[in-house]
Amino acid sequence: MLMMIWRQFVMEWKLYLRDKGAMFWTFAFPVVMLLGFGIIFRGGGGPKLTVVYVQPAAQSTRDAALLKAMEEVQLKVLPLAPAEAEARWAHGETAAEVLPEGEGYRIRLNSYLMAQGGPTAGLVNQAWLLAQARLNGSPEPRRIPVSVESPGGKKASNYAAFLLPGLLGLNLLSIGLFSVGMVNVSYREKGKFRRLAVTPLPKWIFLLGQVLQRLTISLAQAVVLLIVGWLAFGIRNQGSYLDLVVVMTLGTACFMSFGFALSGFAETSETYAAIANLFFFPLMLLSGVYFTLDSAPHWLQRSVAFLPLSPFLSTLRAVFNDGAGLAGHGMGLLVVGAWALGAFLIAVRRFRWN
Amino acid sequence: MSESALRIRGLRKAFPKVVAVAGVDLEVARGEVFGLLGPNGAGKTTTLEMIEGLTLPDAGEIEVLGRTWAREGKEIRARIGVQLQSTSLFNRITVREALDLYGTYYPKARTTADLLDLVQLNDKADAYHVTLSGGQQQRLALALALVNDPELVFLDEPTTGLDPQARRSLWDVVRRMKAEGRTVLLTTHYMEEAEALCDRLAIMDHGQVIAAGTPASLIAQLAIPSVVELTFDGDAPDPAAFAARLGGPVEQRADLWEIPTRDPKALLPRLLETAESEGVPYQQVHVRRATLEDVFLHQTGRSLRD
Ligand SMILES: Nc1ncnc2c1ncn2[C@@H]1O[C@H](COP(=O)(O)OP(=O)(O)OP(=O)(O)O)[C@@H](O)[C@H]1O
Ligand SMILES: [Mg+2]
Repeated sequence: MLMMIWRQFVMEWKLYLRDKGAMFWTFAFPVVMLLGFGIIFRGGGGPKLTVVYVQPAAQSTRDAALLKAMEEVQLKVLPLAPAEAEARWAHGETAAEVLPEGEGYRIRLNSYLMAQGGPTAGLVNQAWLLAQARLNGSPEPRRIPVSVESPGGKKASNYAAFLLPGLLGLNLLSIGLFSVGMVNVSYREKGKFRRLAVTPLPKWIFLLGQVLQRLTISLAQAVVLLIVGWLAFGIRNQGSYLDLVVVMTLGTACFMSFGFALSGFAETSETYAAIANLFFFPLMLLSGVYFTLDSAPHWLQRSVAFLPLSPFLSTLRAVFNDGAGLAGHGMGLLVVGAWALGAFLIAVRRFRWN
Repeated sequence: MSESALRIRGLRKAFPKVVAVAGVDLEVARGEVFGLLGPNGAGKTTTLEMIEGLTLPDAGEIEVLGRTWAREGKEIRARIGVQLQSTSLFNRITVREALDLYGTYYPKARTTADLLDLVQLNDKADAYHVTLSGGQQQRLALALALVNDPELVFLDEPTTGLDPQARRSLWDVVRRMKAEGRTVLLTTHYMEEAEALCDRLAIMDHGQVIAAGTPASLIAQLAIPSVVELTFDGDAPDPAAFAARLGGPVEQRADLWEIPTRDPKALLPRLLETAESEGVPYQQVHVRRATLEDVFLHQTGRSLRD
């Protein structure tokens, strides 16, 4: 029986290696994603916030003091003539602008871009307090010192380091849903499994062979991503490699089985694509791939912890970014493991040859 | 151990828009070569696939080698060999790999070298499945059906798409299987093939068996041992007036008329005389024995390859 699984596994690998196009893309796609995001967020906490400064007819000492203070609080100031500023605003490109009004100023925020506009308004006001103190000759307001650290305290890493495990997780989810589940549905549609159905080959051996093969591909892919992350951005695994392999293996098994299980619920590729997207987008948005959910409602945060992606990512980040051991993450591993097993059992139960 | 290789009672299958199989009873003895004939859409493939455990019947009983699917599915699968009407394998698997791999699914397997010889695919052994011609794919499918040395073999149109030489070699394979005591259930659209290979036949139409027996008994049942054919250069004209003068049925086929008769010796002079006086522009006259094809036409009112 082990021999049968092994034969199945080897055959899957041979077929995979012969499909050069598919092979290229499974490796190229995540690397391109990582390079793209990594370059955009290279600076660390993302690019500076930009504020449009609408130039008054004549610049006063007060205006000069505000401009200087805005530079000091790390805002990127874009001084524009009123007409130009208005055109930019009308195009919807401006998130926040400072305009002279009466004796003082007014801050205008773009209601669509509050995520940037909100913090920008805060910084402009801070700069204004600083400028006023200077103009009045009173002592400068003292700011509370800020220190930047990673949660595990291992090393102050940047957003790209936060993103890399997120991409690893996202990549597993998308291989599971699209390349495993989708391929299975389309093979079934084309009748590629019918000949197997009249042999005594048990379904679970066939499925396990596939899961194991996808597992090794995904691990190889993860290795490539880690090397690219290290060479291009200097992001390195802070934890033990053994722990990393354990987490990755469990996660991969989980998402591959998840794709298989879903493929048992769709007759056609079109239906499958709809179902897969139904799972893909919520999981992607809710599970902390790009940002954390700490401002979401409490019940949502609680529920997400029971979906597979979120506990997988927090465990992966703890190991990879903060060098933590697996001991403190038993619950997360348990959730991922339970999904893996449950999904595999459903996959075997629902799997049809035709 | 039961005497029959296969026993089917009241088999039914309806698809959303059509009743494909409407109550079929069949019994195939061990060691027999049994043929299933019928026009396109008669329900042959659906019947076979229910027997093979691929399609779930709506009703009816199936007993394969004395076993039922519900309880001994795995054992049945190990002992039958199946060639589907169209076999779709993974594109980039080679002939040799496919035979090796399928062999590992069974408790006992014939060697790949042996099978390659049998279907004459030695020179294509390392070619990918996608690169094979239609007939070569068909031969690979046959080899796969024999990989486990099966007791009961199902062949769904095994010679469709084969060249004459490959067809003859398939006939040899089937005859050898019979000599080895295996049971074969096959479908075909070729009457000469059915006559040459099958011990017994069933003719299906509209999901039902409309006639069954040995080829000889089916022809004998027709009670019209001979057929006279008048051939034409181009399309055959309307035979109505001629038939009226002759006083018997005349069937119009593409480029010929067929006149069935019990006594060609008595008919011929009268027939030629009538043709002469009516000015029928025929080219040639043939007299032949009735064949399965005539049985088929008589039973279904259709030509096999319609
Ligand atoms: N999966 C299916 N869904 C719906 N209808 C089907 C399906 N399979 C077969 N049918 C219908 O059932 C009827 C019998 O089909 P079947 O394939 O059994 O015929 P057949 O005798 O094998 O014909 P052929 O000689 O063309 O192979 C046909 O009318 C066909 O359209
Ligand atoms: Mg058919």
